[in-house]
Amino acid sequence: MTVLDVRELRRSFGGIRAVGGVSFSVGDQEIVGIIGPNGSGKSTLFNLLTGVVRSDSGQIHLNGRNITSWKPHRIARAGMGRTFQIPALFVNMTVKENLFASIVEGDWKAAPERADFVLDLMNLEHVPHMLAGSLSGGQQRLLEFGRVLMRDTQLILLDEVTAGVHPNLRKIILAAVRRLQADGRAFLVIEHDMEMVRTICQRVIVMDAGEIVAQGSFDEIASNKSVVEAYLGVPVE
Amino acid sequence: MTWLRALVPQTKWQATFLLVLFVFLFSLPAWGGDYWVRIFTGVTMWAALALSWNVIGGYAGYISFGQVAFFGIGAYTTGLLMQQGRDWNFFATLPIGAILAGVVAVIIGWPVLKLRGAYFAIATWALAEALMQVATAAGFTGGSSGMSLPTNSSTSFFYYVMLVAAVLTFILCYLLLERGRFGYRVKAVRDHEAAAESVGIDTTRVKIQAFVLSAVIPAVFGGIFAYWITFINPQSVLSGEITDQMVVMALVGGLGRIWGPALGAAVLYLINRQFLAVFGDTTSYIAVIGALVALIVLFLPDGLISLGSRARNMRLAQQLITRAIPRAAPPGSVDQPKTKERA
Repeated sequence: MTVLDVRELRRSFGGIRAVGGVSFSVGDQEIVGIIGPNGSGKSTLFNLLTGVVRSDSGQIHLNGRNITSWKPHRIARAGMGRTFQIPALFVNMTVKENLFASIVEGDWKAAPERADFVLDLMNLEHVPHMLAGSLSGGQQRLLEFGRVLMRDTQLILLDEVTAGVHPNLRKIILAAVRRLQADGRAFLVIEHDMEMVRTICQRVIVMDAGEIVAQGSFDEIASNKSVVEAYLGVPVE
Repeated sequence: MTWLRALVPQTKWQATFLLVLFVFLFSLPAWGGDYWVRIFTGVTMWAALALSWNVIGGYAGYISFGQVAFFGIGAYTTGLLMQQGRDWNFFATLPIGAILAGVVAVIIGWPVLKLRGAYFAIATWALAEALMQVATAAGFTGGSSGMSLPTNSSTSFFYYVMLVAAVLTFILCYLLLERGRFGYRVKAVRDHEAAAESVGIDTTRVKIQAFVLSAVIPAVFGGIFAYWITFINPQSVLSGEITDQMVVMALVGGLGRIWGPALGAAVLYLINRQFLAVFGDTTSYIAVIGALVALIVLFLPDGLISLGSRARNMRLAQQLITRAIPRAAPPGSVDQPKTKERA
């Protein structure tokens, strides 16, 4: 079953084409990686999928519902969760308050139990009353990921979730991703760490200049000439 | 009932403090004399007004310089409805003023809350100024000459009306902002709007709701104030200085805290009145307030209300408490590393 179906999605800013005719899908319990050099349109694609930026044309379907042009909060309620490239926390609230704030539109009565589960899963059970703004960079990533897990999301978008994270904390994130995949969640992951992409992604999409230049298994894209050119450039003749 | 349970104090200290405060405030007219009753009528009014500004400024993070517009709407609504010929009951005028202010807040808030920072501040300031010009020019408001209201000479009446209204305001705000989902929504929008959207919060709706709440409160107190002073004109109920006072009181007391504005209002209003009593009508009060605000911004950015938690975090204070009440301190608390925790 397809969780996310994207068809011919396009977006330009002025004369610059950020995303140009992108089509792909994410299946049930699938982890799909998106890689590409800086400025290739990965984060713009996330912003289009989550409704932060409106598309010029194209369609987005989440669990069979057309969510194109929906507002971000409606898309979130429909079952899509995300993290941001720079952790976007409620910095003046405590760790626990951050988790509670993310379920205000959901099953409120289950909030305390769910928060305890997430704190345990993200290894944050020793800092529930600390202000989110005073956490370390790695802990902030864990909390942001944990906030997504407070809700019943079918598709989770992770934007460089392990960037600048200590190896021990990265293990926690990877273990959580695998556990949640087993629980039935699908993931779309932007990542620069190829080792992580190779380890967890069943399929990889490569973007360059706003377009998909290749997709397939990690081994397939690693041997693809277009991918090598996108990352390393074309050799001078 | 859940909301009633949420009002039960969580510690013995809180229960004792609230009981003492309750007894003090409600028995004041019996032993305080007219002077102190009038002073505390002002304190309770400013505490609620500062709290209303705190809702939009401290909790929602939108710095409004137009709150006086809603105060004026409430004052003029009560004034107009109590004029001879209409003769409305005073208490019946208050919800009308509140509804009017709420409607204006929705109409103005829809476009204005899309602005941020200085743009929002300027837009709200312009609203208040525009309303002041309308009140000055319009015939039905009495223009710059103002309008008189029926008189009620009972000091205790206004004290109790102001006190009950302030208590109800604090209970409402406490339940909504500190104990309910609404508070989480508002604070999430304040801290990171995009992140709030990403967890399903309709930020536009939440901002308008917060703006309406912060508009309805000053409208009610504007109505009470109008009847209290028996004469209103644009300068007395629509002057920008009223908003300035709300901002300074909330800032001095503590932004985004439920008790901050009350503390700020009590301290500043009492200082103001004592200055007037000792030095007469002097502008030196403004210099003192300026210095106080500067000191607080520099050394207590979370306001006077944070003094309690700061003191608790201080090693010396902890040692003193440990010596005085050995069982009060948790084992090892003195040597624990200092962490930044929510007070």
